Amino acid sequence: MLRTLRRVVDRHRHAHGHYGWLFHPYTGEELVALAVQATEGDARLAEPLVIAAVRLRGDRILTSESLELRLAPTSGLDADTIRHHCLRGIDLDDGVGMDQALAGLLDFVGNRPLVSWRLDQELALINRQLRRHFGFDLPNAGIDLAQLYQRRQRHYHPQLEPVAPFERVAERLGVPVMGRHSALGTAVTTALMHLRLARQATPARHSG
Amino acid sequence: MVDVDLSHPPFSLLDDTGRERIRGGLDLAYYDRDEVILEAGQPGEYVFLIHKGEVAELDTSQPGESERIGHYTSGDLFGAISILNGQSRYRFRAEQETLCYLLPKALFTRLCDAYPAFAAFFHQRLAHKARLLSERRATGGISMADFMLARVADCMRPPLCLAEDATIAEAVRRLHEGYADSLLVTGGQGAGMVTKTDLLEALVLEDHEADSRLAPLAHFSLITARPDQYLFEVLVLMTRHRVERVVVTDRGSPVGVVELTDVLSHFSNRSHVVSLQVEQADDLATLAAASLRTPELVSGLMTQGVKLRFVMGLLAALNGRIIHKAWEFSIAERHRRASCLMVMGSEGRGEQILKTDQDNGLILDDELDWPGCVEQMAGFTETLVALGYPRCPGNIMVSNPDWVGTESQWKSRIARWVEQRDGDSLMKLAIMLDAHSVAGNAALLDGVRATLFEQASRDQLLLSYFARPVLHFSTPLTLFGSLKKPQHGIDIKKGGIFPIVHGVRVMALERGIAATGTLERLDALVVDGRLDGRVAEDLGEALSLFTQLRLEQQLARREGGEATSDIEPDRVVVQSLSSLERDLLREALHIVKDFKQRISHRYHLEYS
Repeated sequence: MLRTLRRVVDRHRHAHGHYGWLFHPYTGEELVALAVQATEGDARLAEPLVIAAVRLRGDRILTSESLELRLAPTSGLDADTIRHHCLRGIDLDDGVGMDQALAGLLDFVGNRPLVSWRLDQELALINRQLRRHFGFDLPNAGIDLAQLYQRRQRHYHPQLEPVAPFERVAERLGVPVMGRHSALGTAVTTALMHLRLARQATPARHSG
Repeated sequence: MVDVDLSHPPFSLLDDTGRERIRGGLDLAYYDRDEVILEAGQPGEYVFLIHKGEVAELDTSQPGESERIGHYTSGDLFGAISILNGQSRYRFRAEQETLCYLLPKALFTRLCDAYPAFAAFFHQRLAHKARLLSERRATGGISMADFMLARVADCMRPPLCLAEDATIAEAVRRLHEGYADSLLVTGGQGAGMVTKTDLLEALVLEDHEADSRLAPLAHFSLITARPDQYLFEVLVLMTRHRVERVVVTDRGSPVGVVELTDVLSHFSNRSHVVSLQVEQADDLATLAAASLRTPELVSGLMTQGVKLRFVMGLLAALNGRIIHKAWEFSIAERHRRASCLMVMGSEGRGEQILKTDQDNGLILDDELDWPGCVEQMAGFTETLVALGYPRCPGNIMVSNPDWVGTESQWKSRIARWVEQRDGDSLMKLAIMLDAHSVAGNAALLDGVRATLFEQASRDQLLLSYFARPVLHFSTPLTLFGSLKKPQHGIDIKKGGIFPIVHGVRVMALERGIAATGTLERLDALVVDGRLDGRVAEDLGEALSLFTQLRLEQQLARREGGEATSDIEPDRVVVQSLSSLERDLLREALHIVKDFKQRISHRYHLEYS
């Protein structure tokens, strides 16, 4: 409710601005898979470190047109983050500023629908920065794979356990986990999982 | 993307920039089971690199099962040829859910333009790719491989030449000055060889004077080699002819001499040790000890990247010498002179690698009276068993009276086999066609084989019957992935080796080619004009590849101590091959398939 309200306000406010087109409904057939690596700790204070996105068109994942933004961290990295993401300070030294990164992201994503594992968390990370720098949230339509998977599982096995972790789901779907510990790898894996789930929903189109 | 391995050919032919361009330009696609990835006739838009999954290549113009002509799995590449040809000849279909990297056409052609070696990879034929493979395999011991592949020219010494009218005294002086053991006498009838031993014997035993002429001592029937031959072949020649020096000739004139000691200093490894052991053995026990070392010799040479053809040649010569020696130890001289011991099957063709079953037979002179023959032959078979040659399961051994006979008996047997044309007779004819004499009077075998060619080579109906087994086993192009348990592997003998060997044998029979080795037969067929040189080269290369893959897996299993190695010596587990090896195997099997069609067409097997 609050989010819808916010979006209406955003749209109204930015309709004639530079990013007004983002608020138009999308008519193409591409999607964008999104993954974010962030600093650890309090979710409300976490900052994105790497934002990766890759386009999907039909049954193709356009890895040749992918985006990987390394952000220069505003505060120092803590040890946990480094251990978890295998990212060190120097890996981010050539990172870009938040302004630039977000502009790049908006250009890449446009008004395409987003696909992500736990989309809410990823969006929260991005939107906090986006609102600070541009004054609006990402208005795109979104697909949360975790939710989609869980809904589908519940449909087939109503008494089943809560959602499995990302990598286990990938394994169940027969999707190889690409480039572990890299945001781009996660984005590509997410894209693959989405393809698989979308395929399974519709019965096999080809036979022969 | 991140996860793509570009360290194998063809990508290893690019530099880092090229590989980066590929990484940056790849897309990913997911295909469901049974989904068609590339349709026949469709223009090629991408090169597909399989990350995970299996893809079948189908020839849609063929009915039923025979439509499957290829199989690709992780790490394999397809679609490049479709781009080069403009459209795909075949249909590619996912056998399982398959994840492919897509290299767009535009990028692929740009890379081909920028890297000629990369482009050439897709145009090359099997022979070149196989060379790439053996180079890669030899990277563990590059220096050693180079060393083993030395040419004759690298090792020969300039010949010491004397005119025809020189004297013995001059020759001795010349040898002394040159630190040599032999010299050449040049004159009207070509070059002749005189060794130190010849000179000694002439002076001491035959009472020649120091100032008598040298020419009568010279041997004019020389074993010769060309300067561009492998040194290895010379070693084979020396072993086979039991000589210690070979004259190197270029267009008929002598340009150098290769001495055994020079060759040995080049090959200071086990090969000469084994052959020396064989030569020096003076009883069966020492012969057996030498014989048991041949497998280790083979694996030694293989790991050094020596071309299989030469390993086989050396081994055939060694085995021939071992059997010859055993024959000398067991059989009295006067019987040996009037009989001919022949080896058959792969041994006759000189194509066995590890010890194979003994396939042998005996031809006796018509006049020979040999009462104890049967017992002695049974004894000889036992001797060979002791030397490490297992019994032949088909009982094709001298201990079986069916494989012993006088010359005229053999000729009538052949006439009967040609007459009957049933499976058993045809098999025996095939066995006789590969017969090669190892001891005794080789003229007897030549006579028998002459009859064989005379009777069979013009009988079109017989040839057609004889050729039929070529089609007996299907080429296992499809079996790569669809096996229930991949470790069962494919039977490379039935699927690849046999069709080539037998097809070539049939053609050799038709053209009356006396050579017994498949590669020699191929060469002869090219000279004869029956086969195109390229086809023959491809067939030879395919055969070498099959033998090599089989041998490698046999050696690996031997090392692993796996018990099944005796049961299925011809099993090749495709999954354990590298993607380049798989690629080569696939291509070689395609060659076999084409060859089978050719044979089928030539001998009218379509209707039988």
